[in-house]
Amino acid sequence: MIAGATMLAIVPDAYGGRGGIAQYNRDFLGAVADVGTFSSIIVLPRNAPDPYTTPKGIRQTAARRGRVSYAIAALLTAFLQPVDVVFCGHLFMSPLAALVARLKRAKLIVQTHGIEAWAHPKPPRRVAVESADLVLCVSRYTRGAVLGWAAMPPERAIVLPNTARADFTPGDGSKMRVALGLEGKRVLLTVGRMNSRQQYKGQDRVIDAIPSLVAMGHDVHYLIAGEGDDRSRLEALAAQKRVANRVHFLGLVPSGELKDLYCSVDLYVMPSTGEGFGIAFLEAMVSGTPAIGLDVAGAKDVLADGELGMCVSEADFVNEIHRALLAPKPDRDSLATAARARFGREAFQAGVRAAFNRLQETS
Amino acid sequence: MCGINGIFAFHPAANTPAHDELVATRDAMSARGPDGAGTWWSSDQRCGLGHRRLAIIDLSDRAAQPMVSDDGQLVVTFNGEIYNFPELRDILENEGIRFRTTSDTESLLHLYARYGPAMVHMLRGMFAFAIWDNLRRGLFLARDPYGIKPLYTANDGWTFRFASQVKALLAGQHVSRDPEPAGIVGFHLFGNVPEPFTLYREIRALPAGYTQWIDADGPHDPKPYATIAEVLARGANEENPAGELSDCLREAVMDSVRAHLLADVEVGLFLSAGVDSGVLLGVMRDAGQRQIRAITIAYEEFRGTSQDEAPLAARVCEQYGAQHIVRHVNEREFRRDLPAIFDAMDQPSIDGVNTWFVSKAAKEAGLKVALSGLGGDELLGGYPSLMDLPRWRFWFGPLTHVPGLGACTRMLMGALAPEFSQRRPKALGLLEYSDTWSGAYLLRRGLFLPHELPRLMDAEITREGLRRLKPLDILTSSITPDPHSDSARVCAMESANYMRNQLLRDTDWAGMAHSLEIRVPLVDFKLLEAIAPSISSLVPGRGKAALAIVPSSPLPAEHVSRAKTGFSVPTGEWMRTVAATAQPMRPPDSKGLVSRVWSRAVLSSWAPEKLQRQVQVA
Repeated sequence: MIAGATMLAIVPDAYGGRGGIAQYNRDFLGAVADVGTFSSIIVLPRNAPDPYTTPKGIRQTAARRGRVSYAIAALLTAFLQPVDVVFCGHLFMSPLAALVARLKRAKLIVQTHGIEAWAHPKPPRRVAVESADLVLCVSRYTRGAVLGWAAMPPERAIVLPNTARADFTPGDGSKMRVALGLEGKRVLLTVGRMNSRQQYKGQDRVIDAIPSLVAMGHDVHYLIAGEGDDRSRLEALAAQKRVANRVHFLGLVPSGELKDLYCSVDLYVMPSTGEGFGIAFLEAMVSGTPAIGLDVAGAKDVLADGELGMCVSEADFVNEIHRALLAPKPDRDSLATAARARFGREAFQAGVRAAFNRLQETS
Repeated sequence: MCGINGIFAFHPAANTPAHDELVATRDAMSARGPDGAGTWWSSDQRCGLGHRRLAIIDLSDRAAQPMVSDDGQLVVTFNGEIYNFPELRDILENEGIRFRTTSDTESLLHLYARYGPAMVHMLRGMFAFAIWDNLRRGLFLARDPYGIKPLYTANDGWTFRFASQVKALLAGQHVSRDPEPAGIVGFHLFGNVPEPFTLYREIRALPAGYTQWIDADGPHDPKPYATIAEVLARGANEENPAGELSDCLREAVMDSVRAHLLADVEVGLFLSAGVDSGVLLGVMRDAGQRQIRAITIAYEEFRGTSQDEAPLAARVCEQYGAQHIVRHVNEREFRRDLPAIFDAMDQPSIDGVNTWFVSKAAKEAGLKVALSGLGGDELLGGYPSLMDLPRWRFWFGPLTHVPGLGACTRMLMGALAPEFSQRRPKALGLLEYSDTWSGAYLLRRGLFLPHELPRLMDAEITREGLRRLKPLDILTSSITPDPHSDSARVCAMESANYMRNQLLRDTDWAGMAHSLEIRVPLVDFKLLEAIAPSISSLVPGRGKAALAIVPSSPLPAEHVSRAKTGFSVPTGEWMRTVAATAQPMRPPDSKGLVSRVWSRAVLSSWAPEKLQRQVQVA
């Protein structure tokens, strides 16, 4: 890439945005700014509900929710200034990003995350991805799925996993545990949306498992952090299984309190079948809390196929929790260090540098 | 000829590869290299290389692989032979380099250390190798320009793996078995799996004439360094007075055969009644080889008929003073060997049975190396395609531009003359495909045509497979840049498609299953470069006639005039009966239709269960 190049980021949200994709885009754009290749990075978000500041070298325009107004803004921005690289932060925006890249003869990077990229997309999105110079995928699974429907050289699809914020570190979670009234209990935690249309996170599987764990002799309690319209179903399930007193719905936990929450529990559990990566596993592990998930989709990456966390089949899930609760307390610092070595900020920046090295080679 | 493999965990998130996996992949290729086995691991354990050895040059243990350079910075695992190794060694020794072995493998280390990736331009031979560059912390892969030696890679996004065989990569248990629709469709279109695809999405062939670099940034795009079309296009621009073909052919073939005799073990010959292998025998004798054992396959069913190759081959042996070994094969043996044949077949193929038996015979004779006449037809216009393709383009090409004519005629004939449609399924394709070289070639070599695929497999696989494979684009790329003449275009297409994906792959798996190195002096890039200026003036029959007079004692005229038999009979007949047992249907009566039925039998015997359901052969 020529020094002094300009990047246009077409993203659903980044700075001032909420959720995992906004966080990923912020991480990516911040790392790009750190690489120092670009003189200017212009970010066009659809949403930015929260106040924000952008790092040096990054300028974010006003959010435009409407599709038409967003497209006009993107084309206008591209028309008014040079664009060398277009970064598309979500598959559903790829046709617009591909159009802009084509008009400006710019290189195109498309970011893919999770389930949005697993099924065969509509032809305009597929064609846009096939035209990309580079497709970034958060996990091997997502990469495999993209290469399953996109006719493109496999070398152009690279894995750039999520990274954990620096403020997640091992710490003393006893205060939080006291606040929750769970001293002396064995505490499990899941952080994630409760979406009735995407019931893949697996909170229901954990609730199902509680009676068995109790029967195995564990005084187990289960914390569910997050919000969503599936909560009532899960509450009903807990009642039906007669474990409502052991299942605690915490609602949306503020970002600043999440670290203490991770540190306060014995085990992070998320038997999800639909993770593009599973950032919450990583946040738990860099906080020093062991994690257990299913050997399905992107979760295998963050659990490093069982080398970082426990990565098991659904059939073994309950027994594995049982074994984990019986095992000696893990060395939290070692776990956090190992997780950061693979998915920390340094590794993420190296991944971004690798991506731009590769981008330079594409014709 | 050996088996090579490796694992490189290039991504910082990747787990350190397991030693067991490297060994499992390596030892799945034990037939490729029964003389030795080795592994090497980088100090950080992130890269491992494996090797199974078939010792041909420098039989001592000092030539074992993976071979590490004296300074420990380079490590190579290599499959193949570098025929110009003596010249390269002279060059390197003149530059002050000291060899510690007499193996061609060591030259790769020195050449890479001195010239970097550009060293591939200096190599003459058949090769696939990987060099770990410790200073640059990366892996360099290369494959010969014709694609004689295979090299398959798999990248899951974290870890890069490679091996000489698809099945070996799968044996490591860490490579996805998700099917690749392009490979499945490709097999049905061509009777082989066209590179770079395989039947598995995650496994790709490093294309012939390409190199690839893999480092912490991951696998970089493979880079071409030599193509057949380029050589032919360059050759077409060179002066070539008429009548020179036989002269340059004599010199070039002699040079190639001499180079291919480089070995520390006995080099035998596959001998048929055709021109190519007969000429090789004569040139072997001219090159000074005293003891020559030639192997001919004879079929019991043909004994005493004109199709029996043994008598003619015997006369050639007598002429050139070679020891003739005739190995008889019958249907019982064919049926008995069939499970082993399918087991050895790395990717499904509708051919290779003859090569299986002649390799088996060579092994029984105690040979480790044999020359084969493969490649003569591609190089010198020995196939009907040299006549057919230009003719079809001339007569039928213009009709393809009439909108809907081809499809309508096909449907009409299907309704009015179903018998014709079934017996000559490709004839109607003339009105749809013959306007381009790639289309005409697809008709010539096609097993099924694209419109026939939906009745053989899921509609989704057909659609996706055709979209991903882009068969006409693949064929067009084999004549890019344009070689400027009909004969050169046919040479390029036959060499880069049928020969590369079918004949050379079959030669590899069938030979390797018997721990036999099959060398192909007529598939030699230097030979191609030497005669490229003459190829544009080739007319049907002239090339083979010129080849026949290459030996100082020319091949008898009856060899030149003998019609080509190919695999058609009796193996074709055996295939037909086996296929009919697997899939009861009306017995086909032409060679092309036998291949169609046989392809289904191959797939039903070969393909994994999941794949069988999708291609409807279960």
